[in-house]
Amino acid sequence: MSKDSSPDRSIDEPKNRRQFLTFCLNNEYFGMELHQTREILEYSDVTDVPLMPGFMSGVINLRGEVVPVIDLAIRLGRDPIKLHKRTCIVIIELHSYEQKHVLGLLVDSVSEVVELDTSDVEEAPAFGANIRAEFILGIAKKEEQFVILLDAEKTLSPIELASLVEAEFQATED
Amino acid sequence: MELEGALGTFYAESQELLESMEDALLRLDSGEYDSDVLNEIFRSAHTIKGSAGIFGLDHIVEFTHVVENILDRARDDEIRLEEELLNIIFKCRDHIAELINHDLEAFNDSPNLAQTGKQLLDGLIPWFKSNDADIHEKKIVDKVGLETEGATGDWHLSLRLSKDCLRNGMDPISFLNYLSSIGELRQIITLEDSLPDIEEFDAETLYLGYEISLQSNSSREEIENTFTFVREDSEIRIIPPNSTIEEYIALIEALPEDDKRIGEILVGCGAISSETLCKALQVQENETKSSNQSRKIGEVLVESSGLPEKVVNAAAEKQEDTKERKKPSSQLIRIDADRLDHLINLIGELVINRQRVNLLAGETRHESLIEAVGDLENFTEQLRDAALNLRMVQIGSTFQKFKRIVRDTAQELGKDINLILEGTETELDRLMVEKLGDPLTHIIRNAIDHGIEAKEQRLANGKSETGTIKMAAFHEAGSIVIEVSDDGGGIAPEKIRAKAVIKEIISEDANLSDQELLHLVFHPGFSTAESVTNLSGRGVGMDVVKRNVEALQGTIDINSKVGFGTRFQIRLPLTLAIIDGFHVQSGNTHFIVPQSSVVECTDLGSHEKMENRNCINVRGEMIPFIKLGDVFKISPSEGETASYLYREGKSASSHTENLVIARYGEFTAGIVADQLHGEIQTVVKPLGPIFKPLRGIGGSTLLGNGEIAFILDIPQLIESVISNEGTTFTVNE
Repeated sequence: MSKDSSPDRSIDEPKNRRQFLTFCLNNEYFGMELHQTREILEYSDVTDVPLMPGFMSGVINLRGEVVPVIDLAIRLGRDPIKLHKRTCIVIIELHSYEQKHVLGLLVDSVSEVVELDTSDVEEAPAFGANIRAEFILGIAKKEEQFVILLDAEKTLSPIELASLVEAEFQATED
Repeated sequence: MELEGALGTFYAESQELLESMEDALLRLDSGEYDSDVLNEIFRSAHTIKGSAGIFGLDHIVEFTHVVENILDRARDDEIRLEEELLNIIFKCRDHIAELINHDLEAFNDSPNLAQTGKQLLDGLIPWFKSNDADIHEKKIVDKVGLETEGATGDWHLSLRLSKDCLRNGMDPISFLNYLSSIGELRQIITLEDSLPDIEEFDAETLYLGYEISLQSNSSREEIENTFTFVREDSEIRIIPPNSTIEEYIALIEALPEDDKRIGEILVGCGAISSETLCKALQVQENETKSSNQSRKIGEVLVESSGLPEKVVNAAAEKQEDTKERKKPSSQLIRIDADRLDHLINLIGELVINRQRVNLLAGETRHESLIEAVGDLENFTEQLRDAALNLRMVQIGSTFQKFKRIVRDTAQELGKDINLILEGTETELDRLMVEKLGDPLTHIIRNAIDHGIEAKEQRLANGKSETGTIKMAAFHEAGSIVIEVSDDGGGIAPEKIRAKAVIKEIISEDANLSDQELLHLVFHPGFSTAESVTNLSGRGVGMDVVKRNVEALQGTIDINSKVGFGTRFQIRLPLTLAIIDGFHVQSGNTHFIVPQSSVVECTDLGSHEKMENRNCINVRGEMIPFIKLGDVFKISPSEGETASYLYREGKSASSHTENLVIARYGEFTAGIVADQLHGEIQTVVKPLGPIFKPLRGIGGSTLLGNGEIAFILDIPQLIESVISNEGTTFTVNE
């Protein structure tokens, strides 16, 4: 189920074509740049981390590495994901401040990898998507379905996630 | 031997030499003015010059040569390294360091560097003899190289070539052949003392030493040049012909052999002939037979050969010495730090896997297998300790560097500051040492700049003119504590408040304790300095310090008393990689209490509980306790399984609560969990930055069955409970 993807691959391809991994959250389609994703895991037990806000599902043991798993639906302001047999964890890798961050994303199901031309991607509408505009790279159309392309760096910035956790703690302390 | 590799060694070695040179200069500066120190400075410069010469780094040779001449004059007591001159020599040392950092091409491209060098050398002119006016051109013959040069007679060579000599493609025979081409080899004695047992024998390692007597008209330099390619790591000693007996004594003392028989040393030196030795041995043997009591062979030698007692005594001393005092240089090897880290990571994985094997073996109930796994466990533990030990270094060398910073900075600011170092032998992980340099520098600079008052101010405050900064390191409850304290003016909380309000860090009516105000210095964008100097006070600093310390899983604390000084305390874990822990469980969540803070385990019901308070009475001591389930809001697991420590009917609650008593600093606290699982070795897997706000959990680890457990950060846990005291944790009953 896992697949190799390296940033180098996209270099060989024409610049205006980008690959996205699309997945489904409660009947909405989202996409994330393929080079940011590392592998897809079947859902297995996620260990609860005490006191964490809802979007933090917990941590998993990924071949000896302890990786936090985030409920992407909650992060995007949706209802929490309900676990069923197609629930997946998408492992993504982000780089910020010269540090590598590996995160797991809880999604309802993974659909496919699509290759999109720049012209296929439209700018996000200023409102209506019900998601913070800065999280959205653009919107693409796939078989009469809209796919919201997410900016992983912004949506899952470790610094912002940490400050959300911090805020949660302060709220409980006060 | 690859030149590039050798060049790397040159850089590394020069770094060490420069460090020891700086250290010696600082010792001079602090009044320790004697020939040993001067010699050390000279030797450092001389060795750097020599090595640089081998690699054709002429710019280093030229500069260092001039400095060396000044040092030589100081060594001969013609001039004294004081004040102005000492300052220049300090700068020269820095310049040499700078030159070494730039290779020759970069040097040629950088006129500034050459300019600085020239200025420094010009500054040295007043300290040269008048007839040495054109020092820049004049080559002064090395003092070392002068002795009995060109005289005929027998040279004595004592060779202990690098063990890797053969591996690097050098055959000692070729050196001997070369020597015989520049002179006549009178005698070669091969020392096989360091040959190991046959099982350990490695055909590629050179175990042999050579003592050679050579008749030659060559100069010392020519003979030395024979060994250019093996000079590093090898010990080569050359005694010129017609040397005094003292030189041989020095040689005996310097020889690396361990249990060397005195006689052979002496023969090896050519001080006595082998016949004399044979005779002496004979005498000793006879005496042993007749009296059953062996005499020291040294005594026999003196008696039978009329050999000067001095020489024999030196050899005898040497024999007694070697066991305890091994030459450090022959005991050290350089290892690429990455390789070491890799090794430690692998051992970390081994530790995890071992636990898994242990678990599986337990399930089989196969007795001899369990036993074998037990042995393996024992061995892995030792392996882990040994590996971690490799990475431990003393903090002393890090502290030493601050002497220079304190000296220079204090001088620049016209302050008089004494730096006291304590606990320099305290060991900590090399990784931490590296990352501590910057934070400590910040703290020290702040202390010099803002902490210690100006001289007049100090006198007015009734303090001595000389300020004191103390750096101390010590172990405490499984942590390493590093303290930097000064006896300066301290930090006034009101000042911090005023500043923080201006900087809009806090609101005007914020209700903060003095301690909380002090902690604001760690806030990004905070600086209390009234004047911005070029040393500190740019408002970047303490927040970075805090971040750096936290990145090492450590904490930093500040204490300050107006008029008496400020103290920073950095508390760090012993090592970042692997810790021993005590595995407990609360609900379905697993926790590890670091073994270093565990005092004892017991169950909660067996001790008297204080009414309405989370405190228990353990043998008369009042100990507050923390319920993990409450602190971390863990719901009890359904269908509570009985732990092996489960005891019925002890307490009114539905299940037995177990207690681990932990200590941190002066605090002792009980940690209450549902189940105790016992000791476990854990490989620390840091939790990412997202979990940083989670107070009380320092990291995570994997259990033998692959489940994730959280490592408790006892200091944080206790602190967060203390700070919450009166809100959540007092009325729980």
